[in-house]
Amino acid sequence: MPCISDIDLPVGLVSSARAGDTAALEAVYAATAGPIYTLLRRLVRRPAIAEELLQETFVDVLEHIGAFEGRCPLPAWIRRLAVNRALMYLRSPWHRGLEWLDKDPGGADRLPATGPDPAAPLDASLERALMTLPALSRAVVWLHDVEGFTHADIGFALGRTPSFSKSQLARAHRRLREALRQDDAIAEVTTCTPN
Amino acid sequence: MHAELNDWSERLAALGAFEAPAGGWRAVVAARASREARLDRRWPIAIAAVLLAVTAGIAAWLQSAQRTLSEDAGQTVPAAAAAAVAADMRAENERLELILARLPERQAMRGSTAFTVAELEDRLALLDDRLSRVALEPNAPERSEQLWRERVGVLHSLVQVRYADVVGSY
Repeated sequence: MPCISDIDLPVGLVSSARAGDTAALEAVYAATAGPIYTLLRRLVRRPAIAEELLQETFVDVLEHIGAFEGRCPLPAWIRRLAVNRALMYLRSPWHRGLEWLDKDPGGADRLPATGPDPAAPLDASLERALMTLPALSRAVVWLHDVEGFTHADIGFALGRTPSFSKSQLARAHRRLREALRQDDAIAEVTTCTPN
Repeated sequence: MHAELNDWSERLAALGAFEAPAGGWRAVVAARASREARLDRRWPIAIAAVLLAVTAGIAAWLQSAQRTLSEDAGQTVPAAAAAAVAADMRAENERLELILARLPERQAMRGSTAFTVAELEDRLALLDDRLSRVALEPNAPERSEQLWRERVGVLHSLVQVRYADVVGSY
């Protein structure tokens, strides 16, 4: 899976995008939309909401590209906008209203499409285990373990302390381990059951 | 510990990627045009909603400050009376929660409005947390009444912001 921080945009393209050039902005979208969408799907789980947040994120990019100062790579800046959008959604009342719908993580629509690297094995057990985590825990796990956010970054983004992020992460890892163990046990029983 | 963290990172990073929806860029451009049109139409309502929220917040703060002053002057409300007032406040809270529940849920909200709503909800969460522990405090009835009163003020603001947002969407 390509990491957002690995996306290397040509300097000229970034300059043109900062100047508001539509073609350059479209090229930036083409280069970053996939990984940003993957990030959003990991954070919010519901495909329709992730699509809406992706759209909102890039509308933010169009509106605020003039404020991008180039202190960090452009993809990282876009990622920050996407994370802010996602966290705002997770804290919203309509998300809490819908949360009960997400209790069942087994929906086929929630599994990823084939990744850009077809040779990469799809870790279905981990995929399922991840989906069993509450939204906030899943966000902490993904931001810390995959996106490389520090606990201070996560705490700040959530309006909490770094300790909150640390304890959420530890609890989430424990839950992931338990879910994976249960998954293994079920697989073992299924394998051993005679036809 | 570090080995375990690396293991999680590697396994999670190796999970499959999702493909961004087709025609996404056109949708972004259209959404931006729509957002601009909406902003032109809605900013007076949003400003009014924020003003209402600020006014209600100030009113709640003034009430709270006034109460603190009267307590400082030795006019502490008797515990039984404070408990009765707290019961009234709880009833008012329930009424406001009911109104909130009846307001239609919005799938999209202006950023500034969503931010205000999130702030007010955070304050509610903080008050709920304090209320859950208030029984352990020495002046529990008075403190409980004060917290419920603050909660009513915040709920009032939340109802006004959400109502203005709903009205503005039509």
